Amino acid sequence: MLQARRVRLKPSGLAGRILLALLLSVICAAALIALSGHDPLAAFAAIARGAAGSEHQIGASLNRSTPYLVAGVGVALCFRGGVINIGAEGQIAVGGAGAAATALAFSAAPAPIAIVAALLGGALAGAAWAGVATAIHLGRRVHEVLATLLLNFVALLLVQQLLAGPLGQFGAGFLQSPLMPRSTWLPRLPGFDAHPGFLIAVVAAAACSFVLWRTPFGFALRVAGSSRLAAAYAGFSLARLTWGAMLAAGALAGLAGGIEVLGVHRRLIEGFSLGFGFKAVTVALLGAMEPLAVVPAALFVGLLESGSLAMQRQIGVPSALVTVIEGLTMLFVLVATVARK
Amino acid sequence: MRNGAESVSALLEMRGIVRRFGDLCANDNIDLDVRPGEILGLLGENGSGKSTLMKVLFGMLTPDAGSINFRGRPLAGHTPAEAMAAGIAMIHQHFMLIDAMTVTENVMLGWPAAGRVLRAKDVAARVREASQRFGLDLDPDAQIAKLPLGRRQRVEILKAILREAELLILDEPTSNLAPAEVADLLTILRRLRAENKGIVFITHKLPEVLEVCDNVVVLRTGRVAGRAPVAGASQGQLAEMMIGRDVSTPRKIDTARPPGEPRLEVLGLSAPGLAPLTFEIRSGEILGVAGVDGNGQIELVETLTGLRPARAGQIALKGCDVTRSTVAARMRLGLAYMPADRAYTALVKTMSVAENLMLRDSRRPPYGRGPILTRASGAAKARALMADYDIRARDPNFIVARLSGGNQQKIVVARELDRGPAVLIAHQAAWGLDPGATRFVLDRMIALRDEGAAILYVSSELEEVLAISDRVAVMARGGFAGIVPRPDVDMRQIGLWMAGRAA
Repeated sequence: MLQARRVRLKPSGLAGRILLALLLSVICAAALIALSGHDPLAAFAAIARGAAGSEHQIGASLNRSTPYLVAGVGVALCFRGGVINIGAEGQIAVGGAGAAATALAFSAAPAPIAIVAALLGGALAGAAWAGVATAIHLGRRVHEVLATLLLNFVALLLVQQLLAGPLGQFGAGFLQSPLMPRSTWLPRLPGFDAHPGFLIAVVAAAACSFVLWRTPFGFALRVAGSSRLAAAYAGFSLARLTWGAMLAAGALAGLAGGIEVLGVHRRLIEGFSLGFGFKAVTVALLGAMEPLAVVPAALFVGLLESGSLAMQRQIGVPSALVTVIEGLTMLFVLVATVARK
Repeated sequence: MRNGAESVSALLEMRGIVRRFGDLCANDNIDLDVRPGEILGLLGENGSGKSTLMKVLFGMLTPDAGSINFRGRPLAGHTPAEAMAAGIAMIHQHFMLIDAMTVTENVMLGWPAAGRVLRAKDVAARVREASQRFGLDLDPDAQIAKLPLGRRQRVEILKAILREAELLILDEPTSNLAPAEVADLLTILRRLRAENKGIVFITHKLPEVLEVCDNVVVLRTGRVAGRAPVAGASQGQLAEMMIGRDVSTPRKIDTARPPGEPRLEVLGLSAPGLAPLTFEIRSGEILGVAGVDGNGQIELVETLTGLRPARAGQIALKGCDVTRSTVAARMRLGLAYMPADRAYTALVKTMSVAENLMLRDSRRPPYGRGPILTRASGAAKARALMADYDIRARDPNFIVARLSGGNQQKIVVARELDRGPAVLIAHQAAWGLDPGATRFVLDRMIALRDEGAAILYVSSELEEVLAISDRVAVMARGGFAGIVPRPDVDMRQIGLWMAGRAA
């Protein structure tokens, strides 16, 4: 009897607990909206319509989720290996610059080649930026949180500098590059107002899941994340694992930056990725660091954000409230996944 | 005292304790009584339910059924803090002391009676007084880090005494002690008995039970398999009660056989905490290393396996110099290693049995081929190893943290032996195992030796070392105090070596 009651109070599976956390955060959000003098149900309806009310809206939501997902999967991979990579923010920015530079260089190439080259350029630039952090971390024993975090600011300044110089559009009055050559624009998905970035992102998530669960490299990464002592005993090189995870995460973040530049803005704009990298960390944690679970987590955040603008427009609830909802969700999910010892 | 105890009313009465974990019944209707002035031996194989029962008593687990009466009052739904306040003290295998603090400071830690403003002098005086009364021989101002393990244990006992505990639970208290320290501990236990304290003494070691306990309760698979007064019992009877069959000492090894070519050659090897060492182990030979823990054992095995760098000297495996080689390279040359630290090094407790079995072999068949894990053949292999090594888990995906200590160690043994190693380094390989499991591990090692492997067997259990070694070395202060072939072992000499005196 005692046992039956316990089961009802505490949903045993991880998924059940996360659902419960989401439910609680929705209730809190409703209370906050009511406090601000609006009807919570009307606000939620506005969010839902704004997020997925039309093909155009769905497309915008998918586009919004894409960078979070691509970069978040890489962050999850690092976290699984016990490497706390907070550098996605800078890696996305540098990746965007790398993609823009490559795209401008390949302006004469036919579309598929130019697109692939530009995305690869973005990934390479992101990986290189992550490599700088890794070299500092492993070479000089600077904690990886510091190395990755501080390089974010350097990265943003670097992109600014590039836009003020070689990549900038002369006389634009704003720090931005010239429009990318048409051959490098990501195509629109038929029927949706979205670029194919989200598909690339889902493939990336699936690939990371495969690496994590079906390869010796992923196994070694999971062991290292659980116990550094056991990893050393097993004969894994911690340095090599850290390089692997960081370069993969950097490449993914760079790819996210490239997709954003080629798919959304079609030029490199100062601050185009502001906050994306930190949102990627949120999304990775929300997805319990499980690459496939990061997909719904990124969708959740993307839908919520694109719906929040509609809510503000239609019924006047400030969209900043959605930021609060995101924060609450994050807290509830962390409590739900960590609480049990 | 031994026979007069019958008339005294019980200090502790546990009745019909039931505790289940899923479909596993760890405690199945257990009754346990302790009287004041009684030392009760609690025996049982690994996973027989001893720890569960004591955790229930101490309030760390809630029982599914049953009642506890302590000093005439019911105890239910209590926390460890409440159990302590009621007068129950638990002395764990791993001491809960702060190394950087003194004895007095550790006693004051978390003790309301030490005062809101700490009265260090008063407490130190009480430490001195109690230490004298029970023969603990503790200096109140000594720093814990500088005390040998036996003394640290006495600090724990002292804490219990000063907190006016009436019942002391000692969980395998002798497993980290040198023989002389064990004798001292048993003397202290007798004094506590004379002061009318109740003691539950959890152990695997039957000679100690015979020496100090009044009664024994034997658990087997969660039930009471027997209870008996110790007077008149023999070691064989107790062992049979514990595992339901007779366990004699491990198979005698044939020392007359000449060993083969050198497999492990160590020349002038030194590292921090390790004095220059020179020795070799040949094919078909077991070198046993005895000695009190903390005399360089961990430094020796970790330097040999590549987890710590050597400062000087040479290590050769099968004739190849591996002094600067990685852990993985040494493994490829046939070096197997069973670390003493099971919790964080030898196993990843949050992972499954199958994943732990492939921990060091994930890139090799049957677990992996090239860059891919072959999960089906890996699971099949895991099932085979579980059957071969009697690892009792429901299936290969069972989480290791939920297995008993003995079953956890069998995973390590299975993984390291199944590779067919040329050289095996085993550190405390039978630590915390019951006699049945210990014998199983030792027999497997002897079989490996007979197949031609060279084995370095490091243990603080002198009996184990003597049972399986061709040669015995004693470690003291980071070096070998002496090394002798087993037929020439002189126990008095070994004792002197263990105490750190030169030959």
